[in-house]
Amino acid sequence: MAQYTARRFFYLLIVLLMVSAITFFIMHQIPGGPFTREKKLHPTVLKNLNAKYNLDDPLYKQYTDYLIDLFVPEITTGKHSGDVTEDFLVNIDLPFGDNAALRWINFGPSFNSRTLSVNDIIEQHLPISAQLGLGALLVSMGIGIPLGTIAALRKNTVYDYFSMSTAILGVSVPVIVLGPVLKYVVAVELDLLPSSGWGSWQQAIMPAFALGFAQSALLARLTRASLLQVLNEDYIRTAKAKGLRERRVVLVHAMKNAMIPIATVLGPLFAALITGTFVTETVFGIPGLGRYFVTSITNRDYAVIMGTTLLFAFFIVLSNFVVDLTYAWLDPRIRYD
Amino acid sequence: MRKGFVVLLVGLLVISSVLMTTAGSTKAQEPKVLYTALLPGDVKIDPSLASDANSITMLNVLYVGLTGLHDETVAIEPGVATEWTVSDDGLVYTFTLAQGVSWVHYDAEAGEVVQVMDEAGAPLTLKAQDFVYGITRTLNPNTGSEYSSVLAPWVVNGQESLAGEAVELGVKALDDYTLEITSPQPAGFLPMLYGLWMARPQLQSVVEEFGDTWTEAANYVSYGPYALKSWEHDVEVTLIKNPFWAETMYIPQAKIDEINFIYLEEPAQLTAYEAGELDWIATVPLADLDRMRAERSDQLVIGPGQCTYYYGFNVLKDGVSNVHLRRALSMAVDRDVIVQILNAGQVPAGFFTLPALAAAPHQEDYPDLAIWSDAAKAQEEFQAYLADEGITADQVPQITLQHNTSQAHATLAQAIQQMWKDTLGLEVQITTQDFAVHQETMRFDAPQIWRLGWCFDYPDTHNFLYDVFRFVGPDSNNHTNWENPEFQALLDEAKTMTDNAARAELYAQAEHILVYEDAVMIPIYYYTSIDLTQPYVVRTYAQTGNERFEKWDLSE
Repeated sequence: MAQYTARRFFYLLIVLLMVSAITFFIMHQIPGGPFTREKKLHPTVLKNLNAKYNLDDPLYKQYTDYLIDLFVPEITTGKHSGDVTEDFLVNIDLPFGDNAALRWINFGPSFNSRTLSVNDIIEQHLPISAQLGLGALLVSMGIGIPLGTIAALRKNTVYDYFSMSTAILGVSVPVIVLGPVLKYVVAVELDLLPSSGWGSWQQAIMPAFALGFAQSALLARLTRASLLQVLNEDYIRTAKAKGLRERRVVLVHAMKNAMIPIATVLGPLFAALITGTFVTETVFGIPGLGRYFVTSITNRDYAVIMGTTLLFAFFIVLSNFVVDLTYAWLDPRIRYD
Repeated sequence: MRKGFVVLLVGLLVISSVLMTTAGSTKAQEPKVLYTALLPGDVKIDPSLASDANSITMLNVLYVGLTGLHDETVAIEPGVATEWTVSDDGLVYTFTLAQGVSWVHYDAEAGEVVQVMDEAGAPLTLKAQDFVYGITRTLNPNTGSEYSSVLAPWVVNGQESLAGEAVELGVKALDDYTLEITSPQPAGFLPMLYGLWMARPQLQSVVEEFGDTWTEAANYVSYGPYALKSWEHDVEVTLIKNPFWAETMYIPQAKIDEINFIYLEEPAQLTAYEAGELDWIATVPLADLDRMRAERSDQLVIGPGQCTYYYGFNVLKDGVSNVHLRRALSMAVDRDVIVQILNAGQVPAGFFTLPALAAAPHQEDYPDLAIWSDAAKAQEEFQAYLADEGITADQVPQITLQHNTSQAHATLAQAIQQMWKDTLGLEVQITTQDFAVHQETMRFDAPQIWRLGWCFDYPDTHNFLYDVFRFVGPDSNNHTNWENPEFQALLDEAKTMTDNAARAELYAQAEHILVYEDAVMIPIYYYTSIDLTQPYVVRTYAQTGNERFEKWDLSE
């Protein structure tokens, strides 16, 4: 198990390295830069800005410098400058005096803001997206899995049709439609909840529902298909034959095994939801991380593009790892050696 | 059981009535707060670094300039300079500053705006030296000020300083309250220009202590009618009334205690406004405009905007290198139909300069000034082009129109494509590129026709004609590759003159060359501004694009 974890951690590093290289070189190939303006900047000003952020170095040097800042821990002494280029995610004070500290993970400065580092952006906006994402994940599981289960157990009855129609509705009405309709009805007409913003639980209800409902459809259909398959397995027949109650057969014997495909999609879904969803956050005016995935690219804010992409990659790999571990629990036949 | 329920109900009633009375009694002292929204894109409230309208609007109430512009008449008026004089040669400006303007800071622990104290414990006031520092910082190339190039030509050694030379700038403090700025050349608009945001004072001690992060709310200092209360990047900004602002004839004490800006996209802004969460929004989605006209006509105000929408030609490219084809394409654009499509009060443009600017020529005074939509003439010009080149209509090279990706630009481009087809029988191809790619393409290899807009930084014609079309090349704003010595001479002459009527005469001639004689661009329409304001907001409507919140109020 320890060996398996170590191997997966090693893979994680390789994935991050590859993602960073591909993102870095592709983004720098696209014309335009962070200081491209409709009103042209004075050439000297442009030159100085490029020099300030080392954008005038050769590309390979910019890339290696970036990797070193990001991955290699640094020991600093003396007064730590508040400069946005010197902002580390991990700061551990060392007992050598003179403010010695071990500093690690510097994603660099945002070129678009003069006062924010990418670490600042992640620290301020990831928790918001994560809260919304977790809420949406709970909503999607809370709606999707029961609907799918009912549909599977009452196959080809009115319950099945109702559940699957709801699922289809969720798939075919995206957040960009559902969100504004929900806002208009609930916030403007009924005046029950605030229309936008973030900070109170009331503000979280509509976005979490809108985002979760769309995902729940996917889970419902998957649960139904998977459960139907499992219910035809021999061991279910055995369980029924030895006289177990249906509730126990379904909830304990069938459900656990049927959850394997669900767990498989929940992993990437979890990563996608907690790192921010652009449309939902835009529609409901939520200051999450989602918009940085999009605006950083249009603004050519290279460090933010790298930061958000690597963060997403990190969560994808991590959640897939967790999913792989849960397989062993869900299906005792699976082993890691 | 039933008794318990009754007790519970009574208890709830008591609690809620207590809550209601406390809410009612505190309401009298509650601060007046204006809630509004900004389109996403964080502000930069550093006078040297600000470049977008939202930041400039905030800076105008945080950092009052030497001079200002009346929000409704756009007339120049005193800011923190009570008066100014200019030398006979028009080069040396001497500004007398108001005395006793305190630098202030919002103390979050005390929950109030406090004066910044010097080492001796006395309130720090605004001095001419602060202006010298602010202007020097803007013109220092290491600051990376985007708008330094607007100020640099108008301060002695400004360009040299920006190029990194160690020179002495033409700005100095004669004493604490007298500032002298020397320009290398005279110009009528200098009093206006010296009042712009990039020429504001800055407090050296604070900027040097905190570096780029001096604009964080915990460090921020200012002196205008408002101070910065809080700033959560990309989330919200709150301004708070500065009680130490000494009212002047032009800039009163603020009446609204706090202004809260949140970042929201256009449709979300409207929903929040309709739900009563926002008091004012300065943008309305096009799709909802007619509904707002019907439902909230009393709250909707459409006024003039600050920009011109246009298409430019790259005169080095096939086909459009011929002026007759360029004129034909320009005349074939039916601008009246365009503004009908846009449906938000936009004004058809026959020339480039916004008519509201200082020294702008007007159609009434110069009847031949503009190029107008005229299908018959367009066809004539098209025939002249064919004759010129000795080709037939099916031998016209492929013409391409490029715009940056956006639904609004696409709608317009398709409408104009259809007009060209109907009037001239010409099939123009449309391509789109992402904003930054579009900008880069135009610098080095502009397509035959491309879209752009231009908004003024200060309301003078110089900022339109000269700043866009006087120079040519990848670092200029002129992507036409077109130069005309006669046009340039007119702009150079108008630049140094102070009489606006005489300047308008020269600009009228220049415009005629630009849009008609050489026809290197197609002026399409002038923008409008759209405001939705709740009835209880007492306000002015700024024609400058920068609202003056100190003049606003909230009625009960």
